Amino acid sequence: MAPIIQVEGIQKQFDARPVLHDVSFTVNKGDIVGLLGPNGSGKTTIIRLLNGVIEATAGKILVNNWDPHSQGHEIRKISGILTDGAGLYHEMSGVDNLRFFGKLYGVNDETRIQQLLEDFQLADHQQKKVGTYSTGMKRRLGIIKAILHNPTILFLDEPTNGLDPEGIQMVLQNIHTLNKQYGTTIFLCSHILHQIESVCTQYLFLDHGTIIESGTKSELETKYIKEISVKIETNAVVNELNPLYKVVKQDGSYITFILQTKEQLPRLLEEILKKQFWIHHVEIQNRDLESLYFQIRGVKNEDR
Amino acid sequence: MKIDRHVVWTIAMKDIKGITSNKQVLIGLIILPLIFAVIFPAAFILLIHFVSLTSSDIEIMTNTILSGLPNGGIKDTINALPSFNHQIIYVIVNYLLGSMFLLIPVINSMMIALNSFVGEKERGTLESLLFAPITVKELFIGKVLSAFVPTMVLTIGSFVLFGVITTVITYPIFNDFIFPNTNWILLVFWLSPIITLFTILIEVLVSARSKSFQEAQQIGGLVVLPIVGLFVGQATGMLIISPIILLLVGLFLLMINVLLLFLISKYNNRNTLFESQV
Repeated sequence: MAPIIQVEGIQKQFDARPVLHDVSFTVNKGDIVGLLGPNGSGKTTIIRLLNGVIEATAGKILVNNWDPHSQGHEIRKISGILTDGAGLYHEMSGVDNLRFFGKLYGVNDETRIQQLLEDFQLADHQQKKVGTYSTGMKRRLGIIKAILHNPTILFLDEPTNGLDPEGIQMVLQNIHTLNKQYGTTIFLCSHILHQIESVCTQYLFLDHGTIIESGTKSELETKYIKEISVKIETNAVVNELNPLYKVVKQDGSYITFILQTKEQLPRLLEEILKKQFWIHHVEIQNRDLESLYFQIRGVKNEDR
Repeated sequence: MKIDRHVVWTIAMKDIKGITSNKQVLIGLIILPLIFAVIFPAAFILLIHFVSLTSSDIEIMTNTILSGLPNGGIKDTINALPSFNHQIIYVIVNYLLGSMFLLIPVINSMMIALNSFVGEKERGTLESLLFAPITVKELFIGKVLSAFVPTMVLTIGSFVLFGVITTVITYPIFNDFIFPNTNWILLVFWLSPIITLFTILIEVLVSARSKSFQEAQQIGGLVVLPIVGLFVGQATGMLIISPIILLLVGLFLLMINVLLLFLISKYNNRNTLFESQV
């Protein structure tokens, strides 16, 4: 896949206060990229730079081969954005907000507006003022605003913030559909890691204003997960098992083992079953995004 | 880049609707013309007509204005009026109220334009606009129009209302039309649009740089001062409005407007606008 976003050695300062220094990464067309990092690490600044609404202090950015500084207008035409505050007019109704932004993006298709309101379960509330909407409804309307013109690249800044579990599900589902149906490249920022784990194909880890790591989840797992912590629901008697499989915790029928490689896992399970014990559940505990995140930040901070 | 008129009007219409659908804002904008174009002139004229005035201040002021007028033409017309009260009414209607009338376009456009960018910043919507595929120029023109159109509608509406009320009251007194004269026509159709644009450009510039409405108001409010100056100039006889003076003031402000437009296009790019809100 061809790169759609290329960032090289970007620096950004606000009044001599450095926010980003030496940020480099590439995003390929059709990817769903998660930019992860703690609050204040510069995630939103990166989105603003990519859209050319602020200028970088140094470095080079290309979005769809356009320079955001001189050709930002072209980039903004093909990109959709959901900002943290959603940026909607509270004194206007939901549908009027969409009609207004639709006109700015050259979309006058009322059918599309109505369809999206339907999809995001806002059709019944479209005539109400946005000021009366709940946080979740505002966020959903913000997402409709962002995808109204069928963007090539979609930037989502904390898309699931303030949403209830149903809302989160709806948003993640839509992200997935957009990507699959239209090949939309999605660039999303979040610090709620377990939520975006199911949708992202690539991850960028931002810390202290720089990208400390990037890759797919399995690439990162191979690189960072040295030991495997596995929790098994079983009636196995620990003393009867090979001492190679270190037990770190036992809580009733739940036993947590530490294994040196993934390959040890089938062997451990085989041994338990061979000894006529039952197994009801097996779960690798430290391979979720959150564990990876802390692992990566830990390693990088040690390097500093 | 070519200006997309459709986008400009979309922005302007959004703001105009915002003004007309907000009762508090609308009442605020209507009260001022009511005071300056209806209540104040009517009360003033009727008071002078029915109450025999002995206040030496008004007498002195009227004489000062009269002495400031060039000989012949209007001065002769005024001197030929049947009583001193007639002279006072004539002078007030055609000289003093004119400069006061200018407060309508200035204050109204000031209040609308001050809110233009600061309002978007305070609501967190400027970010959405700057992320949209619209140029900063289109955004500025949209904002200027959103203040210009309602102000001119209110100004011309006030002028018509003022004209009707003044004529209804003064015709029986004078048995003639003392309104409108060239001064008034120039004031409303030449100076008002220019001074409105001048006010809006200043306020939009201030608004784009301020973080809160209060901050914008403190600096932006100063634009009323020249109008107060014009009023004081009339009352003290230092600057009597005449068609020539109105034309010259208009031309001067027009040049300033061009300069302001240049400043706006030079110093307001996306980056500065964006960073002014964070």
